[in-house]
Amino acid sequence: MLPIYLTFMLLLPLLGGLTCAVAGRKLPRALVEVLACATVWGSFACAVLAAAAYTGPQVITLADWFASFDLAIPISLYLDPLSLSMVVMIGFVCGLIHVYSVFYMRDDEDYARYFALLNLFVFAMLTLVLGETLPLLYLGWEGVGFCSYLLIGFWYSDPNNADAGRKAFITTRIGDVALMIALAWLFQLFGTLSITKANGMGFLMPGSVITMLGILFLIAAMGKSAQMPLMVWLPDAMAGPTPVSAMIHAATMVTAGVYLLARLLPLIGSSHAALAAISVTGGLTAFYGATCALAQRDLKRVLAYSTISQIGYMMLGVGAGAVTAATFHLLVHAFFKALLFLGAGCVIAAMHHEQDIYKMGGLRRSLPVTFWSFLTGAACLAGIPLTGGFFSKDSILLAVWLKGGVLYQALYLLGLLTALITAFYSFRLMFLVFGGGNGHVHRSSGLTVMQVVLIPLAILGLFGGLLDLPSYLGGGYLSGFFATLPVTDLPTGSHEQEIVLQVVAGIVALLGLLVAYFRYGKGRAERMREAQAQPSGLFAFLAQGWYFDKLYHLVLIRPYQACAGFLSERVDRGVIDASVDGLSAGVGGVGRLFGRWSTGKVAVYLISFAAGGALILCYLAWLAL
Amino acid sequence: MTSLIPILTLLIFLPLCGALLVFALRRSDAAVRGVALAFTLAELALCLWPLALTGEKAAGAPAGFFLYQDAAWIERFGIRYTLGMDGISLVMTILTAFITLIAVLSAWQVKERAGLFFALLLALQGAVQGLFLSLDLFLFYLFWEAMLIPMLLLIGVWGSGRPVYSTIKFFLYTFVGSLLMLLAIIALYLMHGAQTTNYTFALPELVRTTIPYDIGLWLFAAFLLSFAIKFPLFPLHTWQPDAYCDAPVAGTLMLGSLLSKTAAYGLIRIAFPLFPEASRALTPLIFVVAVLGIGYFAWIAFAQRDMKRMLAYSSVSHMGFVALGIAAWSPVAVSGALLQMVNHAVTTGALFVVVGMLEERADSRDLSSYGGTWGKIPVFSFFFLVFNMASAGVPGLNNFVSELIILVGTFRVAPLAAAIAFLGTILTLVYTVRLVQEVVFGKEKTPLELKDLSLREAGVLAVLALVVVALGVHPGPVLELFKAPLEVLVRP
Repeated sequence: MLPIYLTFMLLLPLLGGLTCAVAGRKLPRALVEVLACATVWGSFACAVLAAAAYTGPQVITLADWFASFDLAIPISLYLDPLSLSMVVMIGFVCGLIHVYSVFYMRDDEDYARYFALLNLFVFAMLTLVLGETLPLLYLGWEGVGFCSYLLIGFWYSDPNNADAGRKAFITTRIGDVALMIALAWLFQLFGTLSITKANGMGFLMPGSVITMLGILFLIAAMGKSAQMPLMVWLPDAMAGPTPVSAMIHAATMVTAGVYLLARLLPLIGSSHAALAAISVTGGLTAFYGATCALAQRDLKRVLAYSTISQIGYMMLGVGAGAVTAATFHLLVHAFFKALLFLGAGCVIAAMHHEQDIYKMGGLRRSLPVTFWSFLTGAACLAGIPLTGGFFSKDSILLAVWLKGGVLYQALYLLGLLTALITAFYSFRLMFLVFGGGNGHVHRSSGLTVMQVVLIPLAILGLFGGLLDLPSYLGGGYLSGFFATLPVTDLPTGSHEQEIVLQVVAGIVALLGLLVAYFRYGKGRAERMREAQAQPSGLFAFLAQGWYFDKLYHLVLIRPYQACAGFLSERVDRGVIDASVDGLSAGVGGVGRLFGRWSTGKVAVYLISFAAGGALILCYLAWLAL
Repeated sequence: MTSLIPILTLLIFLPLCGALLVFALRRSDAAVRGVALAFTLAELALCLWPLALTGEKAAGAPAGFFLYQDAAWIERFGIRYTLGMDGISLVMTILTAFITLIAVLSAWQVKERAGLFFALLLALQGAVQGLFLSLDLFLFYLFWEAMLIPMLLLIGVWGSGRPVYSTIKFFLYTFVGSLLMLLAIIALYLMHGAQTTNYTFALPELVRTTIPYDIGLWLFAAFLLSFAIKFPLFPLHTWQPDAYCDAPVAGTLMLGSLLSKTAAYGLIRIAFPLFPEASRALTPLIFVVAVLGIGYFAWIAFAQRDMKRMLAYSSVSHMGFVALGIAAWSPVAVSGALLQMVNHAVTTGALFVVVGMLEERADSRDLSSYGGTWGKIPVFSFFFLVFNMASAGVPGLNNFVSELIILVGTFRVAPLAAAIAFLGTILTLVYTVRLVQEVVFGKEKTPLELKDLSLREAGVLAVLALVVVALGVHPGPVLELFKAPLEVLVRP
């Protein structure tokens, strides 16, 4: 039965997307909406059925894609605890967001294009996760990038939105090329592109080769998962509709890089250098994202930077070899970040598309459901003890600490500092948006349904910790489930160590909350006054994302454009073309002959051409005689 | 039965008869179009027939060929009328028939001397088919030159911009190349004759000639130069943007989709097998120009404001991958190059057609004339996006598969060249999304009355899009056809 479940899991959203794309504009709106939602929920049902029928890791080959000599690429899927937990999460979160979208996009005329892309995205994301061969994974990898490109620029008539989409597509393509090169190299080394086979053959290769492969995969992950230095596209990606931000740029697609590295960890995990590079990237990005989130005024950009930061944590976990912890955080983060974005969508819809948090306030009373759900999400993000986010983030920090060595202990401290900042900016957001005086909102019937969607996500975020409790609380479900993964053994700490570290993490989170309360709860009026002034110095530096955009514009984009013009005008026309023209003109009489020719008609040409041909034939005849 | 019907001869002469008939009917535009369409459809049907025969082995044919026809022609010089079809030729003939069909359909609106126009298209098709089927070098050369005449007339008479300048430039370039090739062919003929006393142009015979290394180098260089001009490879390309831009849409289609493929075909069928040592010696050179071309042309494409010029540079940039795969000369890489030839013909051809449709509507090819077409002509914009994404190498569409195969195949031989070539795909995406953005997204820059696609136009594009998707999802059968011939041609 498993092949049937998997086939339909992929086929349903694909067919839904294609139908909407080709015939959507001719179909009634309600039908498109029902079709889009039903296919995704159907896909989720298949994922659940597959989970029920799951007995052990399994490769399932559905068909052939292409083959040339020894390069054979089947369409085969790999179901193991990692991919299984991912597809269940993706089906569920995407299903909820589809329902939410129906109401959020209620006034948009372009519903067919929207749902077509949303459905195709689900198909691509599931393919990415389930693909057993690297080209199939790449199909999903590039497919989600394509959908993301068009969805960021969904409201295309504003050039800024289209620019943001383009930026995302090109920046992630840099990572994609690294993935392609790694893929080709892998085939040269092992003669296969099957992930499971390559994972089992890593030991055949010298460490330096594995390190280089690991770095290439890391670059790929940097692009898709918005890690430094390729993170610049994600904040701008918020130009898309908010449900898109929730689904693609928070819960699913941006975690693809983490998934890729976790998937290939058996191969690249033997290289300490590669692991160190992954953890350093993750640790630094986590810190970077958190500091930038501190200074953002746009509600969605705060969440975008927090996504960059949280994915940094996941990368840190993968770099420490802790696939279970990283996946645990990936799943819980998907729930609470989708929750935060959808909550933000409710706020934005209620505020007439206002996104500046300094112009909000008092929404606690006017949008109670949103408030309580958002509070849950923020508590998870901040790592307030006993929420899902607390346990998942802490399991990563624990793994990093246990890994030992100066590097990992430094990264642990950086992670802890980042946790403090995270708690602070999470509650800065809470206090600014929901605290303070009266808030007037615009209510609509759609808003009610949109708020209802938040509730299951809030429950999952809040109790997500139950997925994988620390061992002193009896151990976790996920750890047991993931025990079959072929990953190197990790050091395990004593219960005392775990408890101490969790207490420290809890104190840090509460400390952040407290500081935020004093600064933005009690000191709200003062902050509002400050916000009128032009930001300067450190604040502007953080608000502008450490000026990375400006830097790239200066050293990459401008020179690229200038060089393109230069090459086209000066080199191609000015040197190459001119030299050829000059060459023909310079051959004396021949040149003059050409000159006379070019004034004549084509017929003259053809006659001389024929004459030339005849001459050659005569020569030939003479030779043979 | 198949031995009774000379399929191969029919494949060449059916379009030529069609050309004569169309020319005879030139008084009536409707008749001209109808007959031209009927002949291209018949040709396509005829091309598909041999698909059923691939398992057979033709009598007297070299290994891998399932259709073969051989007759004495000019016996005094050992010139024979030898045609043969293996999997590679089969795919190329189908491609030729398909692209000509698209060209005829996209030229439906041509009013000026339509009879001559369609006659030339059909004649060109006949010549290209002949080239893909020739197994006699002299015959090959004949078709190689014969292609040139209708092509030159198509640009010169129906062109826009500076057609005469472009025609002359194109002619001079290709003629210089052809001349060198002819000299090389004759030299080879004489050498083989002196060695064996069998003066022949038969390719399977000539392959067995023993050629001293330094002479082989010169002869190979002559072939290479001739093919590199038509390809075109960097830095022999400057005729190409002018010719592509100034040609009418159908002409650009034939030139970009088919004529560039004849050069790649020549390298695979003739130049590399004839001179294995020399080709190996010059491989680094081909790698360099291929890799350089991919990045350089993609970069220049970004700077173009004229859409057709941008596509012209895009076209050569993509052809760089074909050159890369051929230079690697391993079975996998060459099969990727062959598939890329098909994909390039379809995708780039489709882009030229789709831009031609836009030009017909607004009489402009300048990027700054358009913007926001999605809101106004959604069907057009949909196809425009699909073909551009195929060109950018989005998986699920055709170009991705061949580029992946080339990458993997080349990486084993020359990892550095393959890796740098693939960095070039970043630049491909940069100009592609720019083109999409300026035309499809944003706001309308100048107010234009645009009508969405007519049924004929939508039909043409739908067929092309289906092929793009089919070759992206299930390229297996095409790759299978390349297998047997490549086992003979590419000896690792």
